[in-house]
Amino acid sequence: MKPLNQKAERVQRAAAEDKMDEVRAMQTVTAGCATTFDPGWEVDPFGGVAALCQPMEADLYGCSDPCWWPAQVPDTMVNHQKWDENAPNGAKDWRNLSAGYPDDAET
Amino acid sequence: MYARRSCLTAAILLATGAGGMAWADQALLNSSCGGCHTETEAGLSRIEGQRKTPEGWMMTIWRMQNAHGLNISAEDRRVLVQYLSDTQGLAPSEAAPWRYALEKDPNTVEALEEPFASMCARCHTGARVGLQRRTGEEWDLHMDFHVGQFPTAEYQALARDREWFKIAKEDMVPWLTETYGPDASAWESWQGQPHAPAAGDWVFLTELPGQGEAYGKLSVSGEASPYTVSGELVLASGESLPVSGSMNLYSGYEWRANLEIGGTVYRQVLAMSEDGAGLEGRQFLRGQDSLGAPLIAARAGDAAVILGAVPSALPAGSTSAQIVGVGLDGLSASTGNAEANPYGAALSVETEGNGMLALAAGEAAFDLAYYESIDSLQVEPAFPLARVGGGSDVGPAKVPAYFSAIGFWNGPDGEPGTADDIRVGKMDAAWAMTDAHEHAAHMEDAKYAGSIDAGGVFTPGVAGPNGERPFSTNNAGELTVTAEALGQSADASLIVTVQRFIDPPIR
Repeated sequence: MKPLNQKAERVQRAAAEDKMDEVRAMQTVTAGCATTFDPGWEVDPFGGVAALCQPMEADLYGCSDPCWWPAQVPDTMVNHQKWDENAPNGAKDWRNLSAGYPDDAET
Repeated sequence: MYARRSCLTAAILLATGAGGMAWADQALLNSSCGGCHTETEAGLSRIEGQRKTPEGWMMTIWRMQNAHGLNISAEDRRVLVQYLSDTQGLAPSEAAPWRYALEKDPNTVEALEEPFASMCARCHTGARVGLQRRTGEEWDLHMDFHVGQFPTAEYQALARDREWFKIAKEDMVPWLTETYGPDASAWESWQGQPHAPAAGDWVFLTELPGQGEAYGKLSVSGEASPYTVSGELVLASGESLPVSGSMNLYSGYEWRANLEIGGTVYRQVLAMSEDGAGLEGRQFLRGQDSLGAPLIAARAGDAAVILGAVPSALPAGSTSAQIVGVGLDGLSASTGNAEANPYGAALSVETEGNGMLALAAGEAAFDLAYYESIDSLQVEPAFPLARVGGGSDVGPAKVPAYFSAIGFWNGPDGEPGTADDIRVGKMDAAWAMTDAHEHAAHMEDAKYAGSIDAGGVFTPGVAGPNGERPFSTNNAGELTVTAEALGQSADASLIVTVQRFIDPPIR
């Protein structure tokens, strides 16, 4: 398997250098963070951020549209269909991406 | 699905008596939800088979608004949350294991069993599950709901390697039904016993991030939600801040307050003890819930209760401390003099070296450490997470992190970091942060990811691509945070990551 980008190459190199023990077990991040890490949202397979898709705005929709982190990021496929309507280009229009839960819906 | 307008208003509800209230609340439920949910012998379909926390019911109603076009006012929504939490809520014992999620504690790491961890808590907290009770049929429908609403749950890592839906239906549904199922004995027992009123006077002990340890009084008046709360908060410096706001009490014990303290709005998520004598939970900035601290309180009464002290440990040279509690008229101290005041008792003392002061009143006892030196230091939390934010009118705000430096003595074995270490208390520390590793240094994470102030509050950088960084990467980073106090130092690892766009009351 050939890595497609620099970050995938890092993961492959870590495996080759027998550093996979440094990969944190999936439950070692703060409660409520996504532990889906292919790709991860808050952390990468190493428990850090260096191997995340960054800047996340560059290819955000490729993952968030089909609901890759459904509890963290609005998906436009089913649940938040208008989330990105004011941000056709994530990298340029990221300031128009709103929070997905209203402040006033509190107890 | 179609929008349905609630017919009843809060004004009508307020005009009725207690029995009328229940009738009116049920009528509001029927009119708000009955357009889609059908009448059954047990109640409205789907709703009747579930029990939840106030936050759980609020999230459900908001989802009905967002996904199914429910049209309901904020006031009617809160009335429904009150009614459902009071009639189909959780007993204190059922919510107890999962309170960290309600309290939005940013430093909890869940340790859950498989396959629960991979099947459910891969996307959201396990607490979000544990804070619900459903019939077997409801858990079964919940699996169908997930695969319909969040179809990629079947294709992510830890799902595509197995028959996710088959496991969800055939293994998880029976386990959930057994573990978090229809057994309502604890809830019925709780409902069947008299509940203490929330109204009264309380003395509390807490901490304001960046401002330090604090104590104060709350006076609660009213007979039903929303209750009126007033009082004051006193910082270690002696500065007093006014407290005012309102509180909703759900399920007979779930205390949710929004209080203005010295001009800043804080939120309290507390549980009243079953005997009504105490409060316990967390207080945090309403706008930035990662900035908060535990809060405990005791109801003013005859019994003596010592909550703690401000400062929590006496540094060399200090001559006074506030012992926080109620009924401390007869407080005795192994050294020094105690004089009762509205927050417990003021202690005047002279100390030398390291040791413990023994305090006692009635059946209450408390040991207060005094110190000239410590043997080791720890940073709490050891592995927190902060998020970039801001830079936008509508996007998520920055999520800071709050650190404390805790001093320890070695204990009988003379070794630091062992089980017999003695926790002295919170230390004034000098804070610094550096790149966590070689790659972080290459990316200059410490330069871009944020800064830490003298109070231990880390404020992350602004959201968005940063053209100054390689790949225009975000202001994310991996940092080492270091505290130094009394000749000791300690580190914590800090991840600064991207925004959380969906941030409901239970994550």
